[in-house]
Order: sequence, then C-alpha cells, then structure tokens
Amino acid sequence: MSVVIGGMRLRGPVLAASGTFGYGTEVPLLERRALGAMVSKGIFLRAREGTAPPRIAETPSGMLNAIGLQGPGADALISDYAPRWAEWDFPVLVNINGESASEYGELTARLDGIPGVAGFEINISCPNVEQGGLYFGNDPRAAAAVTEAVRKRTKLPVWVKLTPMVSDIGVIARAVESAGADALCAINTFVGMSIDLNAYRPRLSFRTGGLSGPAIRPLAIHLAHQAARAVDIPVIGIGGIMRAEDALEFLVAGCAAVQVGTATFVNPNAIAEVHDGIAAFLDSRGFSSLSSLPRYLPRD
Amino acid sequence: MNLFLLDAPITSKRQVARGMFVIGLHAPEIANSVRAGQFVNLALSPGPLLRRPFSVYRASADHIEIVLKAVGAGTAQLLALEPGDRASCLGPLGRGFELAAGPQTAVLVSGGLGVAPMPLAARDARAAGMRVTWVHGARTAAELCAETDGETVIWATDDGSQGTAGTAVAAAPDAEVVLGCGPNRMLAALAERWPAAQVALETYMGCGTGVCLGCAVPLKGGGFDRACKEGPVYRAADVDWSALPTHLSYAVTA
Repeated sequence: MSVVIGGMRLRGPVLAASGTFGYGTEVPLLERRALGAMVSKGIFLRAREGTAPPRIAETPSGMLNAIGLQGPGADALISDYAPRWAEWDFPVLVNINGESASEYGELTARLDGIPGVAGFEINISCPNVEQGGLYFGNDPRAAAAVTEAVRKRTKLPVWVKLTPMVSDIGVIARAVESAGADALCAINTFVGMSIDLNAYRPRLSFRTGGLSGPAIRPLAIHLAHQAARAVDIPVIGIGGIMRAEDALEFLVAGCAAVQVGTATFVNPNAIAEVHDGIAAFLDSRGFSSLSSLPRYLPRD
Repeated sequence: MNLFLLDAPITSKRQVARGMFVIGLHAPEIANSVRAGQFVNLALSPGPLLRRPFSVYRASADHIEIVLKAVGAGTAQLLALEPGDRASCLGPLGRGFELAAGPQTAVLVSGGLGVAPMPLAARDARAAGMRVTWVHGARTAAELCAETDGETVIWATDDGSQGTAGTAVAAAPDAEVVLGCGPNRMLAALAERWPAAQVALETYMGCGTGVCLGCAVPLKGGGFDRACKEGPVYRAADVDWSALPTHLSYAVTA
C-alpha cells in the first residue's frame, strides 16, 4: 500500500489532514501503523490566538469551523513538537501560512532543515483569516508567487492545498505546478454560513466558516478529479472521507493518496479503519497493489 | 490517563424532572476510571455527524449514567433510545474537579441540567472528608432534578414554586470548596461571589479530544484554551465570562 508522492515514499495512502490531528501528540487511540503521513495544524511565523467562540456549528452531514489558525508560532513548533516528530516512523509535513508571499518564504526558511520537519503543505486556502489564506488561493499569479517563495527556500517536498472557492481549479493547479509544487492537496473547506434563529445572527462569531464532512464529498471528488486532470504531479484527495469506500472514490477519480480530517473528530481511529478498508477492498477485488487499482482519469 | 472507545448498551432510563432523563450505559472501563467533572462523548449510527458531550452523572462498577434534555435533534435521538440499544461512547474526557483532602465543607451549586457532574462531585468530596451541601436551582419546581445527594440540600426556583425564590447562587451558603455547574450566566454570577470556585463549563464541542480547537474558552489572562482538554472545569476567576457565549443554540439540523 506504499505510495510515492512527489519523491517522498509514504507507507500508506491515508494521511492525517491539517487541523484535524493537532501536532500529532493529541489524538489518542489511533493505530499509528496505518498513518501514511501527518500534516500539522496550520502555523504562522508568529503565535495567533484564533477567533472568538462560537467557532463551530454542525450542519447537515457536516460542520462549519472558524478556528482562525490558532497556533503557537514557528519557535514553539520547533522547540515543542519537531523534536518529537523526528522520532516518529512517519513523516510530518507542516501546514504553513502567511499574510504575504515573503512571509511564507520566511516561515519556510525558519523550518527548513529542522529535524522532524519532512516537508511543507502551503495553505493558500484557509477561509478563516482576515489576511492571506484564501486570497492567495483564487488568483493564479498570487498562488504561484507563494509557491515560488516557498520553493526557493527548501529542497523538501512542497505540497499546495487548494481552495474549492474558484471557478476553474485547473488554472490554479497548473499555476502552482509550474511554480514548483511537488503535489497538490484538493481540497480545503468550502466557505459556508449558518444562522442562529434565536439570536438572528450567524452561529459562528467569525460570521462564516469552512464547511467539511460528508456534505462536501461529491464536490471534493469532482474538484480533486479536475485538478488531477490538469497536472502531472500527484493530487492528494481531501473532503468528507469517513470510510474506505469514500477514499477509494478519490483514488479511482485520479488521486494518488487521501487525507482524512473531520472523520477523526468523530472516530479517533478513523484513519486506521480507512487504511485497513482500502487494503481489504484491494484484496477482495484481486489487486496486488494500490497501483493496479483502475483509475478514471481522462486527460484534459 | 486512559481513554476508551466503547460500543455501549443502554441499560436504563428514568425521568428526574420535566423533560430531563437519566440514561445508564454499560461502560465498565469508563465507570472504573471516571472522575467528577469529566465527560463522555456519545455518537449514534445513524445519527448526527458529531458526538455529543455529557458529564458523567453517576458511576457504579460497570455502568455510567448521563443526564440529558432534548435540546436539539441529536439529544432527541439519544432520548429515544431504549434499553438494549447501543451508543458509541468515548471517554473519560477532560479535566475534572480537584478535590484534595483538607477542606471540611463543600457546597455544590447547580442550575437546571447543571446537576450533571454533581452526584460524582458529592461522592468525591465526601471521600476527601468534606461535608456536602447541595444547592440546586431551576426555573420552576417541575424542572428541579428529583435526585440530589448532600448532607444538606437547598432548593431555589426562579418563580418561588419550591425552596427559595431566586437563584441557586444567591441561596448558597459559603463553604471552603465551591463547585458549580449550570448556564454560563449563572456561572458568571458564581465567579463574582466566589472567584476561587471550580466551575464545569458548557460550550459547543467538536472532537472532545483536543484537536479541533472548536471548544475555545476565552481566558481572563488573554487567549483561549480548550474546554475538552484544559477544562471543562475551570477556576471561576480564570474565565473571561463577558467573551463566553451565554446562549448556546442547539438548532442542529443534521
């Protein structure tokens, strides 16, 4: 079940999505043998408090969140978490954020070479920060500029996490591929809103939040598929994966691997169950490896 | 601390106030290790996407109990369960009340569903050598929980239909240890009177295990921490009550 993503060999195709696995030290009960890689909670150069509560709201088959990238900043990540990651038997990529392309570059330079940091996932798609985030994700030139800024500062794998809030994801996908990305992660949350009918105002203090969970899965499969058709680099599928069959839909639709996120909130061992379910599926259908799974990926 | 994910059968259900029920679950590993103020996170399949957090109300050798009201679709579905049905039960979670030996008196102040952590708190306070006074308040007599456990029990209702007319906080005597649970507005009043009280907060919660950061509690000293991990029990004076939502809407549409 091992896969190679942009030059990095992972022992399995099921990864922990950023923001749903903390810094890897929190989630109990997970059988870590099944974890292909982990993407850390999104981090900025400096510490951030995050948004005021309420930060989450449940919706039909999904949840809205506006955490606002609460985090300890690069120095604390280097001192408190990276040394532990260096001892683990799976790679940890850091989800990086900035308010400008140069800030992304500065953060990359700060983390590059730190033992325990195996690569970077550029977040150009967070809907829950006032500056940066989503802004870079829906403009091909800005997306490419951020990717280049990171690429110049590291030889480690660079993944770019795309936003679904675009009219043509293929345009952004090609732009960041040209700028040196090793892989794409598709997709981040959709911007959504829900109203409290007792208070006559949004249920989230930030007004809007990112929608995740099974509610977005068909939308996510389509966008991941569209991104995969547009580029030659691997695409990692994300969006509402709860079970192995959900992950297999992304894989058949052209993804090289998947990330599991919201499911971990509900079932702390979801990643292992998805991983084992994929293996059982391949076995039951007579496929000797993941690479022999049929893919539906007509080229653009 | 050990955490368990159990497929737990429902073993009992009884009514304790208007609209308020106690549900028992067979969950030996949790029953044996839970501390007062800790909670479990329950899920049903099929059911809403997210788990629902409940303070553990009582624990025996093999069973735990929770107390709930139907406040939204998820709790309504839980309330419809009958003995023999099963729920996925994750726990024990969070940091409970600290009840070290030394103090001689404890007062438990609960409002409405805030009874939830109090039977275990009474048990643990007594085990630590304290004499327990329980002050329980609700809007009306019909909404008072019928089960209390203290050497002294004081009732308070907003309409005066049973016990003192007014709030539980106003009706409570002083004690060396003060524990509170109830609506956030009540806990804010409790914090005014007893800054050193320990209070069990209610917030929206996503994962219950510390990763989603959805249950942010604003702190007096600045910043936020997690009700599910650093809480749900706080020193009353440490919480920035003005920034904590006082009204939780449970209009979950899942």
